[in-house]
Amino acid sequence: MTLTRLPWLHAASRRAPVAVAAIATCAIGLRLALIGHWDTYGALQLPLVFEAGAAAAITITTASPLGEPERVTGRWLPFLRLATALALTSAAALLLAVAGTGAHLVGGTLEVLRNVTGMTGIGLLCAAAVGGTLAWSGPAAYLVVGAYGQYTQWHGPALTTPWIWPARPPHDVGAAACAALVFSIGIVLTSVLGGRDRVAE
Amino acid sequence: MTAVRVPAVSRPAAAMPGQLRAAARLLRLELRRNAMPWMLPLVFALFWFSVYRKAMAMPPLWHPRAASLQIGALLAFASPAAGTAAWMGSREARRRTTDLVAITAWPSWARQLATWAATTCWALAGYLACVAVLYGVTARQAAWGGPLWWPAAVAAASIPAVSAAGFAAGALVPSRFTPPAAAIAAFFVLALSTQPINGSQSYWNISPVVAYPWDIGPDPGVATFYPNLPDLSIAQVMFLAGLTVTVLGAVALSDRRGGSWLRRPAAVITAAGLLAAGTAVALAGTGTLNAHGMIAIPAVHDAASDRPARYTPVCSHTEIPVCLNPAYASYLPAVALALTPVLHEIAGLPGAPVRISQAAAIYQQGPGNSVSISMVGPSISGGRPVYHVLLPDQLGGAALTTSEFIAQVRSDAGPNILANFIALPRSGASQAQQAVLAGLLKAAAVATSAPSARGAPQPVLSPLPAAVQSAAQRFAALPPSARHAWLVRHIAALRAGRITLAQLP
Repeated sequence: MTLTRLPWLHAASRRAPVAVAAIATCAIGLRLALIGHWDTYGALQLPLVFEAGAAAAITITTASPLGEPERVTGRWLPFLRLATALALTSAAALLLAVAGTGAHLVGGTLEVLRNVTGMTGIGLLCAAAVGGTLAWSGPAAYLVVGAYGQYTQWHGPALTTPWIWPARPPHDVGAAACAALVFSIGIVLTSVLGGRDRVAE
Repeated sequence: MTAVRVPAVSRPAAAMPGQLRAAARLLRLELRRNAMPWMLPLVFALFWFSVYRKAMAMPPLWHPRAASLQIGALLAFASPAAGTAAWMGSREARRRTTDLVAITAWPSWARQLATWAATTCWALAGYLACVAVLYGVTARQAAWGGPLWWPAAVAAASIPAVSAAGFAAGALVPSRFTPPAAAIAAFFVLALSTQPINGSQSYWNISPVVAYPWDIGPDPGVATFYPNLPDLSIAQVMFLAGLTVTVLGAVALSDRRGGSWLRRPAAVITAAGLLAAGTAVALAGTGTLNAHGMIAIPAVHDAASDRPARYTPVCSHTEIPVCLNPAYASYLPAVALALTPVLHEIAGLPGAPVRISQAAAIYQQGPGNSVSISMVGPSISGGRPVYHVLLPDQLGGAALTTSEFIAQVRSDAGPNILANFIALPRSGASQAQQAVLAGLLKAAAVATSAPSARGAPQPVLSPLPAAVQSAAQRFAALPPSARHAWLVRHIAALRAGRITLAQLP
């Protein structure tokens, strides 16, 4: 009973069900958008926008409404945070990849996985730094950076650093490694420390 | 006993000096308690990364940098401004103070307006700082012209609009998910609003991220020979102002505590905003690409803008002066370096151009978003011939390094200058004319294999018969003084086609 009730209570307190709904909305939005005709810029930037939306929704769930009392109640909290973030990230990658199946999704599943993971990592890092409720600013800002990186592939000089992974091809190992590194650091920090939020918020 | 929820209707009091002071104090409080200042470092970083670096990599010309500012600054500011405004708009619900502040003397729409105004003020202050830096640096680098304020005004008018949209979203749907949704949606709408644009008469040109005919790119040739046209910018500012008023009016309309004294003016304001925005969209649909590369809207067009800009060209001190528009003064050393070997071959000869002069480009809308760019008028004019030239940057295309630029100018203009000097006909040139042209090109080290810039016609040079090639090599191998002396004596006959291949030295 406790095994399922505690994770559910944790997820509900973090608005994880709403986050899942938001991620599903992003996937549906991507699917609907892919039906339309897009030029090269649009086709490149479109998945990135929805990936950023999903990543922002995940990072919002790091905000705790309980604060200090929750932190002293048990040893499961880091694991619950870890499980929530991992589950939501997996769901986002899966749903967005499914949304692109059978449509012309530039970059394919690999790029979705890399971009969602990396941008979620940025959001988790922001949650540890400024709090979960404002952590969306990380993925939203990185969306501008990523879109600009993609733009420079046409209007040089091209940005080739792997840290701007949306501008790199899906099979680029360096870009994937950077995204994975950012995600790893972000998830470790938020799992151990939680979001830096005030209870009043 | 039954409890009935009846919202208290707030009524306005007559405006008094004390109330104005209170309004100013409320705004000051909101400015101090606003989240936007904390977002500004992030926005500045985005501006530096995606706008400033890009603008500094461009030539120091006002139009491409101003266009880059309009588009880039808008995208850099839109997401943070919309997200933060949504965050501020949902503040009362987030802090569970809605009931507490509902009983204050100020109606809720006035409080909300003050919060939105403070958020917008901070965002605008940040934007103006970015404009000041970019335009300040450009003013130091640019050789001619002045700041183009209309593109900056469009981006400035966009900030209240995205801020109002974000604020309305936060106020109407106060959830922790609303700020990111507003931020991402703002980027989505702005960045992808250019997708449906099809030609210069598209209604979608009203999008504030359109600073020039779409797909042409920030062309350095625009707004240098002719003044910058503000037509599209005027329509865009009108649209954005209308949008802002509409959204704020809608927020006031949604205030359940407001009575008819609020709802009626709010409805009028909303309708006026919608009318302004709709009119602006209709105006944008009447725009056409003019010959100078800008979108002209007849209803707001000022005919004075069609007159050429007055300027004194800057000229090189080469044997035949190379003269450019002063905006291109920084290009002059490279252009002179590119053309010096060619000009050295013909300087002082009868019929040689007295000056090489930069010409304005003419723009013509093609199918879809394509635009053809070519030179205005013939390449040579006047009794004392002046050769007109378009620089590669005026023809669009990819950015060039200095060495690529020099090679492009030499390979584009060089053959044409020499062909005009010899009076080489487009077809039916004599073998002697072909040989002399090829010899001069070889002597001037002009690589005729380089691809021509878009719109620059090339004289027919290949394939040359073996005999012509041999004569050309002999002519090129002559000492410069001998070549020069031969041309002085025989150029008239060569132009008339009376010289045979055997008569070449």
